[in-house]
Amino acid sequence: MIEAIPQALGLIFTVEGLFVLTFGTMLGIVLGALPGIGSTVAVAMILPFTLTMGQAPAILLLLAIYAGSVYGGSISAILINTPGTPQSAATCLDGFPMAQRGEAGKALGWSTIASVVGGLTSAVVLIFAAPQLAAFALNFGPIETFALILLGLTCIVSVSDGSLVKGLIAGFLGLFLSTVGGDPLTGEARFTFGNFQLISGFNLLAVVIGVFALSEVLIRASALPDGKNKLVKFSGIVLPKLSEWSGRIKGLVKSVLIGNVIGILPGTGAATAAFISYAEAARSAPTRENFGKGEPDGLIASESANNAVTGGALVPTMALGIPGDAITAVMLATLTLHGVTPGVRLMSENPVLMAAIFSGFFIINLMLLPFGMIVSKLAAPILRIKEAYMLVMISLLCTVGVFFVRGNPFDLLVMALAGVFGLVLRRQGFPMAPLVIGMVLGPTLEISLRQGLIITDGSFAAFFSGHPIAAVLVVIALIMLSLPLVRFFRNKGASA
Amino acid sequence: MANMISERRIVSLLILLLTAGMVVSTFGLQFAELGGAFSPMFFPRIILFVLLALAALNMVMDMMTNPKSKTLRLAPTLLISLGFLIYVMLIMPLGYFFSSILLAFLILFTLGIRNPLVLVALPIGTAGALVALFNHVLKMPLPTSPFFWWI
Repeated sequence: MIEAIPQALGLIFTVEGLFVLTFGTMLGIVLGALPGIGSTVAVAMILPFTLTMGQAPAILLLLAIYAGSVYGGSISAILINTPGTPQSAATCLDGFPMAQRGEAGKALGWSTIASVVGGLTSAVVLIFAAPQLAAFALNFGPIETFALILLGLTCIVSVSDGSLVKGLIAGFLGLFLSTVGGDPLTGEARFTFGNFQLISGFNLLAVVIGVFALSEVLIRASALPDGKNKLVKFSGIVLPKLSEWSGRIKGLVKSVLIGNVIGILPGTGAATAAFISYAEAARSAPTRENFGKGEPDGLIASESANNAVTGGALVPTMALGIPGDAITAVMLATLTLHGVTPGVRLMSENPVLMAAIFSGFFIINLMLLPFGMIVSKLAAPILRIKEAYMLVMISLLCTVGVFFVRGNPFDLLVMALAGVFGLVLRRQGFPMAPLVIGMVLGPTLEISLRQGLIITDGSFAAFFSGHPIAAVLVVIALIMLSLPLVRFFRNKGASA
Repeated sequence: MANMISERRIVSLLILLLTAGMVVSTFGLQFAELGGAFSPMFFPRIILFVLLALAALNMVMDMMTNPKSKTLRLAPTLLISLGFLIYVMLIMPLGYFFSSILLAFLILFTLGIRNPLVLVALPIGTAGALVALFNHVLKMPLPTSPFFWWI
């Protein structure tokens, strides 16, 4: 795949390619900066507009939105003490105190450099790790695929904030929704209840936009109160001088490594990485007593780690077709909608596209530095926009987005119902990421399970006796599932 | 009795009942008799049985703990939810432009915006900008109005 990079760069360095990367990165930063939108909603909102684009520009645009929005979250975290994305929550701890004492530009300077370094290393991890993993996956048949998807589904455990049972319910609801429509083997209609529109199943994008973006509109409408955010004094990013980095490089390297490793693990995510990295820095940094009072080392720890996750999180998504969290689930849906099947054959059959994605991701992270400096200054006044205006824009954009997928008004109804459904479930603590993960992985899980059982004459035990890879994957899945129980009993033991 | 009823418990009960209903429905459907993994109901039935067990467990947990749901401003939430459902049904007969103006107005008004200029200009401006962009610049037409072909 490395050999395909020159050809891939030819795809990127075109007017369309450069426009997509520039526009996507800038838009991603703005959307990430707007509190409450977040990377997942940002990508879901823009996804439908890419449907008329070619595969490479469309995927690059969404990657730019993804990387840009993770960085953009730090702008509102520092300027208004409200993280634009959950990944930037740890950034508030030291970013806002710095801004309060008149160092907003400096704080954004530290976070920008840390984000760029984190993002660039994650791109390198993606370039080298994904092809290795995919090459290994060439040994996979239906039984191994079933075990792999089962392992992918266990990440529901880690994306289930609060209640594991509620997370599992959401995941199984997603799996059930994926069965509505024609049976993949016999073609017979299932759970359509006479509605011919349901024969092709639920439109994945309508459900994704409904449960993430539209339910967000309804949740924010239900929360109140609306008002303008107060901005601290900010007149542009001030990059730290080289001498100011003295004593901070070790912490930066450590945080980047934490982000890279956590990114590859399914179901952990950037928010976890940012907090683990922050906690580690707070434990080991020489300036630890200043943490929480506006210490640049704290900012570096959280921002470098959360951006270092982005590329790593794409490794299992690209190589195996397993999303690790909500945002990579939406990215997986994106690839599927564009006719790209991640995993086993993608790297060998479409090396130019993959090289374009990987090198494009590297360039996007390089672009964060100049665009971060330009957009953060422009985005600062947008943060003062009234919430009601923003909700109007999100609602109208969601509708346009879903309508363009198939031009079918039924999808709009599905989106509206998914939005209401998402509101009801989210209010009761049901996470929505497992629902999307279930919907995305459901069809492959079903087909591989049924094909596997047909091959083994219905013997489930034969799934593992002659298939060591499948057996290992299932054991890992069981370990992943049992981790919350181990944690529960350990905490119980500690409190006793 | 009033203490027994809460939003969380009602939602849990609804999930349990809906899942049970779906499980029952899998036995009433007629398919070609292929059996085993060939049956179209093979996979959904496994999923639904697990979902039923989880829903029952969730119901029991919610009966035992019953944490309070977050406070909800019922009127705006209901109005906007209903408004959105009506909006998606009006898009085809009224066109994107007019129906979007109505929805945007409803959202703004419900969320407490009373400035007449904003109430008129923002819906028209946002919907108009999207129609201009998609219908006339990108040539990806949104549903058009029966009254004026250009919007």
